[in-house]
Amino acid sequence: MTESNDALEDRLPDVDSLARDLEQTGYLADPGLATALFCAVRLPQPLLLEGEAGVGKTQAAKALAGILDTPLIRLQCFEGIDAAEALYEWNYARQLLGIRLAEARGDGLEESSLFSRDYLVERPLLQAVEHRGPRPVVLLIDEVDRADEEFEAFLFELLAESAVTIPEIGTLRAHHRPIVILTSNRTRDLHDALKRRCLYHWIDYPTLEHATAIVRRRVPEANDRLVSQIASAVSRLRTIDLQKPPGIAEAIDWVHAAVLLGIQELDAEAVQRTLGSVLKYREDHDVAVEAGLAWVSGA
Amino acid sequence: MPSPASPPTPQADLAALAAAFGERLHAAGVPVTPERMIRFAEAVLLAGPRTIPEAYWIGRVTLLTGHFQIPVYDRVFDEYFRGYVDLVEDTRTSPSQPASPLDAGERAPRDTGAQQSGASRSPITSATPGLDARGDADTEEMSLLAAASTSERLATRDFSECSPEELALLRQLVERLPLIPPRRRGRRLRRNARGDRLDVRATLRRAYRTGGDPVHRAHRRHSERPRRVVLIADVSGSMEPYARVYLHLMRGAVRSLGSEAFVFATRLTRLTRHLAAGGPDYAYAKVAESTPDWAGGTRIGAALTRFLDEHGRRGVARGAIVVIVSDGWEIGDPGEVGEAMRRLGRLAHHVIWVNPRSAAAEFQPLAGGMAAALPHVDTFLSGHSVRALEELLAAIREAGERRRG
Repeated sequence: MTESNDALEDRLPDVDSLARDLEQTGYLADPGLATALFCAVRLPQPLLLEGEAGVGKTQAAKALAGILDTPLIRLQCFEGIDAAEALYEWNYARQLLGIRLAEARGDGLEESSLFSRDYLVERPLLQAVEHRGPRPVVLLIDEVDRADEEFEAFLFELLAESAVTIPEIGTLRAHHRPIVILTSNRTRDLHDALKRRCLYHWIDYPTLEHATAIVRRRVPEANDRLVSQIASAVSRLRTIDLQKPPGIAEAIDWVHAAVLLGIQELDAEAVQRTLGSVLKYREDHDVAVEAGLAWVSGA
Repeated sequence: MPSPASPPTPQADLAALAAAFGERLHAAGVPVTPERMIRFAEAVLLAGPRTIPEAYWIGRVTLLTGHFQIPVYDRVFDEYFRGYVDLVEDTRTSPSQPASPLDAGERAPRDTGAQQSGASRSPITSATPGLDARGDADTEEMSLLAAASTSERLATRDFSECSPEELALLRQLVERLPLIPPRRRGRRLRRNARGDRLDVRATLRRAYRTGGDPVHRAHRRHSERPRRVVLIADVSGSMEPYARVYLHLMRGAVRSLGSEAFVFATRLTRLTRHLAAGGPDYAYAKVAESTPDWAGGTRIGAALTRFLDEHGRRGVARGAIVVIVSDGWEIGDPGEVGEAMRRLGRLAHHVIWVNPRSAAAEFQPLAGGMAAALPHVDTFLSGHSVRALEELLAAIREAGERRRG
């Protein structure tokens, strides 16, 4: 435990070095996010990231795993997710086979041996707890707001104690306390008990220059002029009344699409051809057309 | 766990700083738990912030639990740390660049009066930047003692001009205010020596003793019942200095008079149960939680309409004394306020409007909502200090006895 902490301290002596490391992996974090990630790793304390879709919440966790050179274990939440999908499950087929095998051999079979590690299927949360190091894993619990409220209660033991309890085996404590990052799109309010255990950071849509820098970083093959045109076009789109204002992810998609079609410069016609990669609703299309495609392109 | 980069700041001072800041934030309506204050202090030690923006982010990450709390945090942080300029730098080197990320002018929507009072309430922070936190604590303690010895002075002081310590004292004063339930005439007749009606039954029974002659007459009069009091307080941004004090008053009223208590900013929240069950801090946390638009604008008309529709006309307001605490700054349609007040006036026995801003000499009820409400208000009071609160309580008491006029 101490070894790994030393290693973490060496890797992340302060907030600035964390931000620099993130930048090298191609992820540009503002000081707020860098501070949040730093505290999450060094306190250590789970971190709840909130923000609109497409501001880079998931990407932040990936980039963090990248700079720590440690695996990223991702649990995508969805409605109806339960312990069997998140924590562990018994391998029933294998248990049945074991019983048949014991019968065929004429051995006596202990029940406890049927519920041993051999028959356990590790799901993401258990994997994170069981990870052997040398450094803790980054555990990404993605879109936790999609899971049912009851599911949050499953997470408490993991978040507070870094432990998981399996009734048949007992409590498993993490060798290396996982770095837990939860993300939420705020489709519903999370329970206080969950929030209480977490640090909190709200990721805003980045400023224009910051957005340009991020896109440039992510799509190096695009020319600078196109990138800055698209970044401003996205921020213009964000000012009109859309159902889903485009985020950074959409801006990146847009540049990709433009590069693929060989577009060198953004004009009304180019916007027309590629608008589908930014706006994903029929109504939003209409709103953008009404506002004027030339206006969107900035021409 | 001292990190190698951290300055030789005594830990106790940091703890005091974190606790004081957390306290301030809590008072502004962000439910900050001690657990989070500890986390904040730990993170400050760990990251060793050198500039105000760095400290800003550490606090924001460790102390908040929701997006909607960010505006309040920004404001409190600005108020609290602007005086310190560079908290860590000061203890080590000369005063450095005042790198405040927060442009007070554009961020704080509050009027300049509040800003000035913010400055005057912490003379220590603005005076000498080299003063260490220990000195602060001493001076604060002194001022606290001074305040305690002059509760007379405090009694007439406007709540919005009080420091947090003075407010804490004031809350104790407020909790001790005598709450005498207003009375109303009950339906039943009770025997009473000074009654105005003859109690025939008792008179006849007494007449047995005097040979059948009704020498001793007995009288009856209507019994008295406590009259219901409903308190509705505005907790929007403009009312912030007063909201907390009024919560204490409400708590007393709910507990001893069985009053109903509501608060609103843009939505109405019933607080009766929270106040009856827990302390004011608990209730305050509940308000902050159920009012994500805390410190935002005010929709008095919508809140009052909702009160009437969901509570008032079902019986809560009927024949009651309704006290509304608000400065009348309506962001919605003032006409709606007028209409709601007209309905309320017909339901309630007596409507008291408390506007703490009306204590100012230059006050005129020009705020749209205020002007629309005034014709339907029976009693208009200021309630900006403890003295004024006593007037309010007297008005409530008298209103119970007065017949509708």
